[in-house]
Amino acid sequence: MCGGSGAFTKRRIHHLLPLQLPKDSRGLILSQFLVAVGFGLATASVVALAAVAVSLQVSVTNFINFAYGDFMTFGAYIAWSATRHGINLVLAIILGGIATGLLGVLANILVFRPFMRQGVRPVTLLIAGVGLSFVVQNALTLIWGAEPVRFNVTLGNSLHVGPFILTPGDLAMFATSVVLLVMLHLMLAYTKFGKALRATSNNADLAKACGIDSERVVSITWFLAGLLTAVAGVGLVLQESTLDPTTGFTELFVIFGAVILGGIGRPYGAMLGALAIGLLTEISGAYLNAAYKTSIAFGVVIVLLLFRPQGLFATKGKIS
Amino acid sequence: MVYYVTDLLLLGCINSIMVVGLNLQYGYTGLLNFAYYTYVAIGAYVAAVTTMGRTAMLGGGTYILGWTLPWYVGLLIGGVVAAILGAVVFGFTVRRLRSDYLAIVTVSAAFIFWNIINTYEPLFNGATGLYNVPNIISTSTARYTLVMLALSAGILAVCVWASRRIFRSPFGRLLRSMREDEAVTSAFGRTSWQPQLWIFMIGCFIAGIAGGLFVFSITAWSPYAFLPLESFILLAALIVGGAGNYWGALLGAFVLIEGLAELSRFLPSFGGGADVGAIRAIVIGVVLILMLRYRRGGLIPERWLHWYGQPTKQVLPKARFAAVRRAR
Repeated sequence: MCGGSGAFTKRRIHHLLPLQLPKDSRGLILSQFLVAVGFGLATASVVALAAVAVSLQVSVTNFINFAYGDFMTFGAYIAWSATRHGINLVLAIILGGIATGLLGVLANILVFRPFMRQGVRPVTLLIAGVGLSFVVQNALTLIWGAEPVRFNVTLGNSLHVGPFILTPGDLAMFATSVVLLVMLHLMLAYTKFGKALRATSNNADLAKACGIDSERVVSITWFLAGLLTAVAGVGLVLQESTLDPTTGFTELFVIFGAVILGGIGRPYGAMLGALAIGLLTEISGAYLNAAYKTSIAFGVVIVLLLFRPQGLFATKGKIS
Repeated sequence: MVYYVTDLLLLGCINSIMVVGLNLQYGYTGLLNFAYYTYVAIGAYVAAVTTMGRTAMLGGGTYILGWTLPWYVGLLIGGVVAAILGAVVFGFTVRRLRSDYLAIVTVSAAFIFWNIINTYEPLFNGATGLYNVPNIISTSTARYTLVMLALSAGILAVCVWASRRIFRSPFGRLLRSMREDEAVTSAFGRTSWQPQLWIFMIGCFIAGIAGGLFVFSITAWSPYAFLPLESFILLAALIVGGAGNYWGALLGAFVLIEGLAELSRFLPSFGGGADVGAIRAIVIGVVLILMLRYRRGGLIPERWLHWYGQPTKQVLPKARFAAVRRAR
């Protein structure tokens, strides 16, 4: 993953040399940069899951769901409350994933499907998503309060892994993310359902004409997306260490950044987009005021949508 | 009690001005601007710093300008700055993007602006914000609310009158036709982004004025009073009230924002203050979704002026029915 970044590294450091650190510390700067890259990979592994989930859903339903961030928060809260009842973390994450998947299916049936059947403009669906986001976010506030909470687990002490400084939790998250994404890939590429999903995403009417039950495909897609989102939500909370009802909503636009970078509705592009966004936010966060970290991701969203709305790696077809 | 009512009416008027301004952008023109409250915040900030002196704040604090201009000049400058910022943002975004991408860009922009305002101290004094903004005239507090109410109501009346004029003018018709079908409009030789730019700037100007009124009535300004989330609430108010209709905008502002805020005050309180706010937001969300689902025009839908006749969708089945009858 870092293979292609050699030239980038050199240019970046050359540019930054007079700004930050005392002279004669090239080694120090390099290690600092690599540490930031490590953080970037950790962030990317979380963002990738959520971005792939969003992209998968968009590829099938053709609209952007503003309530996604709140689905993330929901999954994280379910997992948190499960761990509080003594369930171990892995089970809790699975529980949160299933609950969020069901929430996604429910949202589809109650809110989005009626609109889709009416054939409304995408803007209406988007505003409905905003309404749903209001409901979910504030229902979470009602149930668990607005105060930030913490998971009862730590990520363990920081380890030096090669040039990176990461916690075992980060590594576990990275591994989980890779495993889930590979599983998703296998499912999309080799199962009958994956084929049906790709067909629906390419042309819903044609898929229907071939006898694919597209509503079932859409429902399962919502479930899968919810599942991935919840895992991403827990990962995000473990990295940021606190959870409150607005956690996911603020992260939403970072995820959109990754989705748009990879091309909207292209899950594989979203993985690359997440990698880019993760590296970009963490590396810039190491050199600029860290408060601007998310702003940089938002800036990427804006610039991309303005100048390259088809995404950086545009190809024909959505999932190919 | 009188004080309570005037205070309520004052906030209602200011919110109505905002929603009427948003109606020009979303209702008349179909431009989905989720960064609307940013313009309100900018207008408020500029109005505050152009009227307060350099030494108004006790702890010092860093903010720009610090001119001691009369309040009406400050208010106008606030509106103009908001409009100029609107024009800049319009130039970059609206001309290029389709509706839902425009929404994402405007939300992202709103968050970036907010983050910069909250973090970058030399310009906006960071999270502390401003306080001791001068009153526009010096009287007792109760009297002052009354004065502000009169001023806001006057400005609201002007805004409603202006949006009525715009709605009925050829300019308004052009905007509506561009909203409904850009291709048809261009077939009539009227494709141009300028009308949209003008209406966007007017909307932002109104937002800035509303922000100025807000900051003069509460005499303080802080990033946390202008969260980007407020734009969503204004939009919800507009859609529930009726987008494209200024009476709908007024109704939405009073019912959804003021009405709910005050009704929830009479709820038996269980839990803390956060709960009431959360219930309110849930109600707003549910009402918004239900309105979109069952009554998309809002409580008072946009009026079709008589020379439009009926929308084609309602005419066609009738005509077909008549044709069938004739055939028999």
